[in-house]
Amino acid sequence: MSTSTAPSTTAPTPAPARRVGAAGRGTPRRRNEKAAYIFLLPWFVGLLFTLIPFGASLYLAFTDYNLINNPNWIGLDNFEEMLTDEDLLQALKVTGIYTFVGVPLSLLAALGVALALNKGIRGLKYYRAVYYLPSLLGGSVAIVMLWRYIFGNQGIVNAVLAFFGIDGPSWVSDPQYALSVLISLHVWTFGSPMVIFLAGLRQIPIMYYEAASIDGASRWRQFVSITMPLLSPILFFNLVLALIGSLQTFTQGYILSGGTGGPSGSTLFYNLYLYIEGFQRFDMGYASALAWLLLMIVAMFTAANFLMSRFWVFYDN
Amino acid sequence: MSARLSHPSAPLTRRGFNHLVVGAGTAGAIGLTAACAVEPEEVEQEPADSDEPIELNFIWWGDAGRAEVTEAALDLYRADHPNVTITTEYQDSGPYKDKLATRIAAGDAPDLMAIRRDQLREYGDRGALADLRTIEAMDLAGLSEPVLAPWDVNGQLIGVPAGLNTIGFIIQTTVLDEYGIDLPDGDTWTWDDLATMANAITAASGGSIYGTAYEMATVANLYVWVRQHGEDLYTEDGQFGASEATIQAWFDFADEMRQAGGFPPAGFFDGTTSAAEASYIAQGRTASQIIPTNNFKSYNEACGGTLALLRIPGESTAPRRGQSIDCPHLWSISSQSSYQAQAAELLSFLTNELAAWEAMGTTRGVPPNAAVAEGLLPNLEADDVTATEYILGLQAEDLPPAFADPVGATEIQSKLADVAVEVEFARITSADAAAQLVATANDVLAG
Repeated sequence: MSTSTAPSTTAPTPAPARRVGAAGRGTPRRRNEKAAYIFLLPWFVGLLFTLIPFGASLYLAFTDYNLINNPNWIGLDNFEEMLTDEDLLQALKVTGIYTFVGVPLSLLAALGVALALNKGIRGLKYYRAVYYLPSLLGGSVAIVMLWRYIFGNQGIVNAVLAFFGIDGPSWVSDPQYALSVLISLHVWTFGSPMVIFLAGLRQIPIMYYEAASIDGASRWRQFVSITMPLLSPILFFNLVLALIGSLQTFTQGYILSGGTGGPSGSTLFYNLYLYIEGFQRFDMGYASALAWLLLMIVAMFTAANFLMSRFWVFYDN
Repeated sequence: MSARLSHPSAPLTRRGFNHLVVGAGTAGAIGLTAACAVEPEEVEQEPADSDEPIELNFIWWGDAGRAEVTEAALDLYRADHPNVTITTEYQDSGPYKDKLATRIAAGDAPDLMAIRRDQLREYGDRGALADLRTIEAMDLAGLSEPVLAPWDVNGQLIGVPAGLNTIGFIIQTTVLDEYGIDLPDGDTWTWDDLATMANAITAASGGSIYGTAYEMATVANLYVWVRQHGEDLYTEDGQFGASEATIQAWFDFADEMRQAGGFPPAGFFDGTTSAAEASYIAQGRTASQIIPTNNFKSYNEACGGTLALLRIPGESTAPRRGQSIDCPHLWSISSQSSYQAQAAELLSFLTNELAAWEAMGTTRGVPPNAAVAEGLLPNLEADDVTATEYILGLQAEDLPPAFADPVGATEIQSKLADVAVEVEFARITSADAAAQLVATANDVLAG
């Protein structure tokens, strides 16, 4: 993107100025942009339906809305309540652990499988589909239920452990282990970052590797000096999306704990806590305030991510 | 997923990337909480004697079996009221309660609905439920004062029991026979008798069957324990009435059985369903448990028809009776309904009409109308007769009153569930658990 940004005070139309950088590809590019906006049209329409709830939620965050009676303005009370809310602390802890353990592990798994699949093996399409499948299913109720059974007292995991003479814990009902069951589910759904990694790997020109091997660079050296830098924007993209997605986890905790966040708050994800406050404890004003705090947290992490990306993401343009 | 990119060695440019991310990420975070407010004002009412075609929406929780018998009763009503269209919905109890909250918030309240006891006041205190005494079409004549009193809150009758219910101890008699252990006398047994029996069963079976297993965090169980200690979990004026010592004893008693073997170890309960067929007693992994009595038939069928139904231990020796008629399941009419008279007429039919109960049976408990209960008895299957007689026997005695749970009960229940797990896994002491529960309860109820 080296398009000239100089103000076109003298040029009658912006087109010639653009051509300077875009090397004569202005017209197709503009056509592409138009196509992009047409494809985005449904999103813009949907935006209207998102903006109204956004506004309502922002207003409700400053009220005592209880789902039934009219909301009363209570100023910053909801936000003040957060300061002493132990459940909120627990929700932040659970979501934090889930994110900072689960996201790196799932990205590592995704990158590892993508690298393995990038070797031009036979039946790549088949493998790609198989590894992608869990991503489609991972957030579904059925899979979380399946996970519950797999890790249940009488489940496969403990049956395998018992075969080796290990007395497995109660993964689902012990507060010490319940979250790890969900982290393992998270890691298992590495498919969509994997597909993106795979696409990124295939964009790296083979000639770089050829040149490197002529110079005698080892496989590891090639990985560190060619693959990683050229893949870093993809890694960054996956990291940002995974982080945002992970901070908003809801279904897994809701299903595993039957909507309670239990055992003993060990699967009380932030969004689940928000849901409990709003729909089970009838404190929708507080739940709305929680939603805005989450938005700020997500925005903060995303901004930090972008800032840090300057130091490790390499754009080869 | 992979976009076609113009330059092969630049998978993604910085600016292109930024554009991509701006929209994608954060949109989901906020959407969850938006809803509209309901104005609790007078709603214009359709006259009771109107012949205009109207539509009543009627919802409850339960399984397909309950839905089938309820529809059968409704069909009788439909035949007599051609101008009334009744639309129905039912769900499992967990999602039901969440969906009801959403519907009422959205101004889409059902006309007639089932409400959990612990949520009755959450809605009633906020004006979402109609005062049944003010609706002329509501026939309350056949319901006795003790049946209605708990749901008479702040001078408004906001619900009637969908069926009378309480809890009971079921014991698998085949296990007792196998190990030569005597069935205790349900009218006189004590908690120590329970522990002796449970420990003996586990020991005799070599640990393959646990003598007893009941849920520590199920509030219906705790009501009884607390009453037997001379207190109320929630008092009439909506306070938390249980002392720390009573709560601590509740945890300690189970823990002592756990040490002695009669009660299963930590983490034993990991079931995904409340279905009788999937229960531990039906699977032969436990020999006894506490159930709501309206479920006796399904449990007995799942357990081979050999269950004994006993009262909760300690009833004859405790300073105060613990068992009461603790209806978990109530019918209420929405204050937002335009058809309150019609809904009340349907509710009167479901409450007082023997034919309706003959169609429905005791899936929600014993008819709250004593005359109907008596008339129904000859038509019931043996298991339902057992459960019904159990309730009728209790009702004839002098029982402590039950009270509707105060606003905030839901939050106190989550705390109870949390501390019960913490004690079970020995992460905190029972004394700490009791102190935490009482502190949280007082805090929540203070406002």
